[in-house]
Amino acid sequence: MRLRLFLLCTTLIVTHLVLHVALELGPVAPDLVVVALLLASRSLGSSGGAVLGFVLGLVEDAFATISFGANVFALTVVGALGARTRDFFVGDSIPFLAVFFTLGKWSRDLLAWTASDPAARLPLGDLALVESPLLGLYAAAAGLVFRVLFIRRRGNR
Amino acid sequence: MAGQPRHMGERRKTDLLLAVGVILGSLIVLNLPPGPQRAMRHFMRETVLSPFIEINGAIARTRERALDFDLLRTQMDSLVAPVAAQRTLAEENRQLRSLLGLKERPSHRVTAVTVIRAGTPGSESTFQLDAGLGGGISPFNAVVTESGLLGQVQEVFSRYSMGYDWSHRDFRVSAMTPDGRAHGLVEAVRGGFREQDRLVLRGTAYLSDLSPGDELVTSGRGGTFPWGIRIGWISGPAEASAGWSRSYYVEPAVHPGAVTHALVHIGSGAGVTVAAEDSVFRPQQVDPP
Repeated sequence: MRLRLFLLCTTLIVTHLVLHVALELGPVAPDLVVVALLLASRSLGSSGGAVLGFVLGLVEDAFATISFGANVFALTVVGALGARTRDFFVGDSIPFLAVFFTLGKWSRDLLAWTASDPAARLPLGDLALVESPLLGLYAAAAGLVFRVLFIRRRGNR
Repeated sequence: MAGQPRHMGERRKTDLLLAVGVILGSLIVLNLPPGPQRAMRHFMRETVLSPFIEINGAIARTRERALDFDLLRTQMDSLVAPVAAQRTLAEENRQLRSLLGLKERPSHRVTAVTVIRAGTPGSESTFQLDAGLGGGISPFNAVVTESGLLGQVQEVFSRYSMGYDWSHRDFRVSAMTPDGRAHGLVEAVRGGFREQDRLVLRGTAYLSDLSPGDELVTSGRGGTFPWGIRIGWISGPAEASAGWSRSYYVEPAVHPGAVTHALVHIGSGAGVTVAAEDSVFRPQQVDPP
C-alpha cells in the first residue's frame, strides 16, 4: 500500500471514530470506515481486506450488546469482496469510486442486517430502499472529498 | 517466465483461501457466547477506543458545566421550599413506624455519573457510565435522571460500567400509578424508525381505566428498581385482551439521547446482587453492607 493511501485510510478511520464515538453524531456523520476499507482492500488483496474489515468490525461493535459480531461479519465480507473488484475494474475514476463506495455501504448495511438479531433490526424495505442508499451516497460524497484532498495528481494514485 | 502465471495463480488461490478463513472467523465471533464477546468489547473500549471515549466524556462534562446558571438557580430554589416543608416528616415517619412496629424503609444511596454514548451502528440503546466497581456500582442498578428512569446497569468493570436505556429490547420494569390503582409491566416497542420507539404498559387489569396523562412510577416489585421513580405518562390505549388485561402506550419521561448526566441507585438496603470483573453472567447473592 502506498504511503499516501495509507495516510488517507488512517485519516478516514480516525475521523470516523472522532465523529461517531467522540462526538456521538451517529448517522448524521458519514460512514468513513467503509470508505477506508474499500480503498485499502483494493490495494491489500482479499485476505488483507478481510483482516482489515475484521479488525474495523470489532472496533465498530465495541458498544453493541445485542448483535455483537454483525459489523465484524459485514465489514469482513465487504473487505474481501472489495478487493476482488480489481479483477473486473481497472483504474479509480471519480464515477467508479462514487458507485463503488455507494454499493459498498449498501452491501455493508444489508450484510449487517442479515447477521443482526431479528428483534433489533429495521424493516428490510426501509433499510434497503431508503436509508442505506441515502447513507451510501453520503458516504461516497464524503469519501470522494477526502480522496481528492489526499490524492490529487494522477501519478500518485 | 512460464512459471510466473502459475505462481500468480497459486498466490491468488492462497489469498482467496485466507479471505474465506477470515470470513469464517467473523462468523465464529458472531456466535461466541456472551462472556468472550464481553471480553472482546471491553478490550476494544480500553485500547483503540479509549482516547475517543475520553474525549466524549470530557465534552459531556463541559456541556454540563455550561448549563445556564439561572436555570440551575431556579431548579435549586424550587427544591428549597419542599425540602424545608418536609424536614420534620422524616422524624414523624420514624416515630410512627416505631409506634406501629414497622421496620425502617430501605434507604437508597446514589452516585453521580456521566453518560457516554457512541454513535456506531448497533450501539443505539447502550451507554457507558464513567464509574464502575470503585464507585460502588453493581449490575442491575437503576440509572435515573431528574426527569425519571433512564435504564439499567448491565456490565460493571473497575473504571466504568455499561448499561442500556428503556429503548433496549430486554428492558422491563414493573410499574404502577402513584396511587396504586393499576399495576403492570413496562417494556419498549420498536417504531418504524428509532425515533418512534416508545414504551408500552402491559398486563394491567381489564377494568383499570387509565387516562392519557396519568403518571406511571416504578412499583419496586422484583427488587431491581427502587419504588417511586417516574417512568412516564399514559399516552393512549394500545390493545385489550378480551376481558383479561389492557395495554397502554406510555410517553417516556426521559429521552435517552439528550442525557449526559445521571444518578445510579446503589445499595438497596436489601440483599444486593454484585458481580466481580468476570462474573457478570454468574451473579451471586451477598449480604447487605
